[in-house]
Parts: sequence; C-alpha cells; structure tokens
Amino acid sequence: MLLLEYKTFLLEGLYQTLLLSLVVAFGGSLVAIFLSFGLTQQSKVVSRPFYLVVEVLRDIPLMVAVLLTYFVLPNIGLSLDPFWSTSLSISLWGGANGAQIIRAGLMSVPSAQRETAAAFGLRSWKGLVFVILPQAMPVILPPYVSLLTSLVQATSLGAVVGVHELLRSAQVLIEQTTISRGGSPAFVVYGFILVIYFVLCWLISRAGRVLESHFARPYARQPHATRKSDVTVIAAKPIDLTNA
Amino acid sequence: MDWVYIYKALPDLMNGLGMTLLISGVAICLSLLLGVIGAALRTSGIRPLEMLVTGYVEFIRGTPYLVQIFFIFYGLPSIGLKLSIFWSGALALTIWASAFHIESFRAGLAAVGQGIRDASASLSLKRWQHAWFIVLPLALRAALPSAMNTIVATVKNSSYLQAIGLVELTFVAVDRIAYEFRTVEMFASICVIYLFCVFILSGLGHWLEHRLNRPFAGR
Repeated sequence: MLLLEYKTFLLEGLYQTLLLSLVVAFGGSLVAIFLSFGLTQQSKVVSRPFYLVVEVLRDIPLMVAVLLTYFVLPNIGLSLDPFWSTSLSISLWGGANGAQIIRAGLMSVPSAQRETAAAFGLRSWKGLVFVILPQAMPVILPPYVSLLTSLVQATSLGAVVGVHELLRSAQVLIEQTTISRGGSPAFVVYGFILVIYFVLCWLISRAGRVLESHFARPYARQPHATRKSDVTVIAAKPIDLTNA
Repeated sequence: MDWVYIYKALPDLMNGLGMTLLISGVAICLSLLLGVIGAALRTSGIRPLEMLVTGYVEFIRGTPYLVQIFFIFYGLPSIGLKLSIFWSGALALTIWASAFHIESFRAGLAAVGQGIRDASASLSLKRWQHAWFIVLPLALRAALPSAMNTIVATVKNSSYLQAIGLVELTFVAVDRIAYEFRTVEMFASICVIYLFCVFILSGLGHWLEHRLNRPFAGR
C-alpha cells in the first residue's frame, strides 16, 4: 500500500501543516484583536481607516494575497521564506475576518453593561475583560471556531508557493510514484489528504463546541433571557468565511 | 509603478478577467441550482437523503478547496473521468459553492414559519403551489444576503484555479511575472480588478435585497 510505504513522508507534511496552522491561528488572532480595537473606536476618524483595511484584506482573493506576499515583499527588501510569507498573508486575511467577528460580538452586548461596569469602578480594560467579553463570547465563538477551521484549510495554499506541508508532500509523492511506477495514484492520495483535513477540521469544531457550551452555561437555566434573542439576531447577519 | 507597462498588459488582463467571469458565471448558475435542489432534499423529511446532503455539505466545508480542485483535476482521470481544465475548474467551483448555497437556502427555508404552511393549507393550495408560489419566494429572500456572500466568494475563489493552469486573471498575472518580473505592477492591477468586481457584485446584491424587500418596505 502506497500510503503506508510513504507514511513518514506524509507525516512530515502533516507536521508542517499543523505547525503552519498553529502559527496562523496565533498570528491571525493577534491581528484580529488589534484590528477589532480599531474597529470599535468611538471616533470615526480612527475607525474608518480600519474598516477600509479590513474590507480590502477580506475582498482580495486569498490565493492572490498569498502569491502577492511571496512575490512582492522581496521588492521592498523583505525576503521571507515560503513558510513565513504564507503565515503572514493568511494571518492578515484571518485577522481581518476575525476582527469583524469580534466587533460583532462586542456590539451585541448592550451598552448599559459597559456603563454599569464603569459605574462599579471597573476601568476600561477591566470592564472589557470581566464584564463585556464573557457576555460576548457566545456570539464570538461559533463563527470564530469556523474561522479557525478555515485557517487550517487555508494553509494548503502554502503548497502553491512551495511550503512542504501536507498538500505539497502529496503532490511530490504523486509526481515521484507516477514517474517511477507509471500510473498516477492521485485519486487515492488526494482522497486520503481530503479525509485528513476533514478530520482535523472536525476535531477543531468539536473542541469549539465544548468551549461554546462552557460559555453558554450561565444562560442555560434561563431560556427566556434576553441574551438568547440577541444571539439569534446577530447570528442572522452572515459573516463571510467562505473564502478558504 | 510603471503605468505604461500596465497599459500594455491590459488586453491580456482583460482576457484573463473574461475567463474569470465566464467560469464564475457558469459555476454560480450551476451552484445556485444545486443549492436549491440540495436544500429541498435536506428538508424533504426523507432521512437517508437528508443525511446524504448533510454529509456532502459538511465534507465540502470541512476540506480545503485547493485539495478539492486537485482531487477533481488529477484524481478523477485515474478512475476514468477525464475533464478539460475549464470543466474540472467549473466542477470544483460548483461543488464548493453549492455546499455553501445549500446551507444558506436551508436557513432560508427554516425562516419560513409554520403559520404560512397553515395559511396556505387553509386556502387549499396544493403542495407544489405552496412550495413554488409561497415558500420559494420567501425562502430565497431570506437566503439572499448569505447567498450573495457565496456568489462574491465564487468570483474570488476562481483565482484558485490558476493552480491547475486555467488561464484566468491570476494566472495571466503570475505568467507575465515569470517572464518579466513586474511583480508590483501586475499584483496591483489584479487586486484593483478583483476589488472592483467584488464592489460591483456586492452593490448589486444590496440593490437586489432592497428591490425584493419592497412588499415589506411600507411597514
């Protein structure tokens, strides 16, 4: 069996994919937090440029963004290897999408909560972390988890610029065996890769659901609480994660 | 920035844009059709069919689009299904987009309330009349925003097809870069073109939403 024969080669690819996913999830979240601060500023002069940046980052096709970072950055003297240039472009894209998710979550918390927190003497960041964020979490988490799975899927774009992740190692494996044995094993190998990615994303959304139920617990006992309707209203607004 | 170079490259870029729009157009039409059919099957009440459609949606949404493209282009010929670059690209794009359309149309169907079913039953409408004249217009309207998102994403994601050598906008740019190394000029122009397409399409979507909302706008 071909797949078993080249097990270590494919595992090496999977390791790179996981590494890239981790870097991208971390980097993307950092970018998302930074951008969402900009988006939620009261002053229009500050928030407008952030909106523009977020829109442009989301509207450029991810494929173009990955190629662009790889080919254009050396022109301004920043030569990154394929791994880091892919991480950078996917992080920026994920950050822009994540920022919109976080913004929508923060907006879903009634402003009275912020005012009450301030009245209790919780200064801005304390109020944000201890009062606003726990309430925003049920709104933020579901789309954010699906963003994370999109990021894992997006790491396959690294293959286009030559990162040796799972898809690239599958390509190499297929090329090699086609030459050495005749007859392309593409169907089996790509099918196998599809399944691996699917399991990976499924595990992430499973873990996400555990987290979601943790944050939903305070509202579980009161089915008629106002929170529930807030959640459905926000969820009705589509957030575009369809790019990856 | 060399504007003269961009000007000279424009005819090529426009050809690429033509291919991008053509393949996206084909995929959008087919995937919308599949989306409506899939959503209807998903809510049909026949368990095996429902599970099949749900599995399809989950699998397509849970796997990278690029791998799907490679699977279709390189994998399918080895089981005897040989498609041209254009049609394997169109197939990949259609399969990918239809999974998202099924989801949004299913949500749209779910938004049509039980009261409406009772109302059309009391008017003694037949099942197909109820489905065609009552449910479909309401469900499509409810599904429009997220369907529009998917349509825009279809155009953007046609750029992935450069990886299998479809001569569309991104391919043209990368191809010229390989010979002439004008990276900044080429990427700047295709980014502008893509942004332009996205703005036009989402503007069209907003207009359509507004236009279709007319029966409810007076209240």
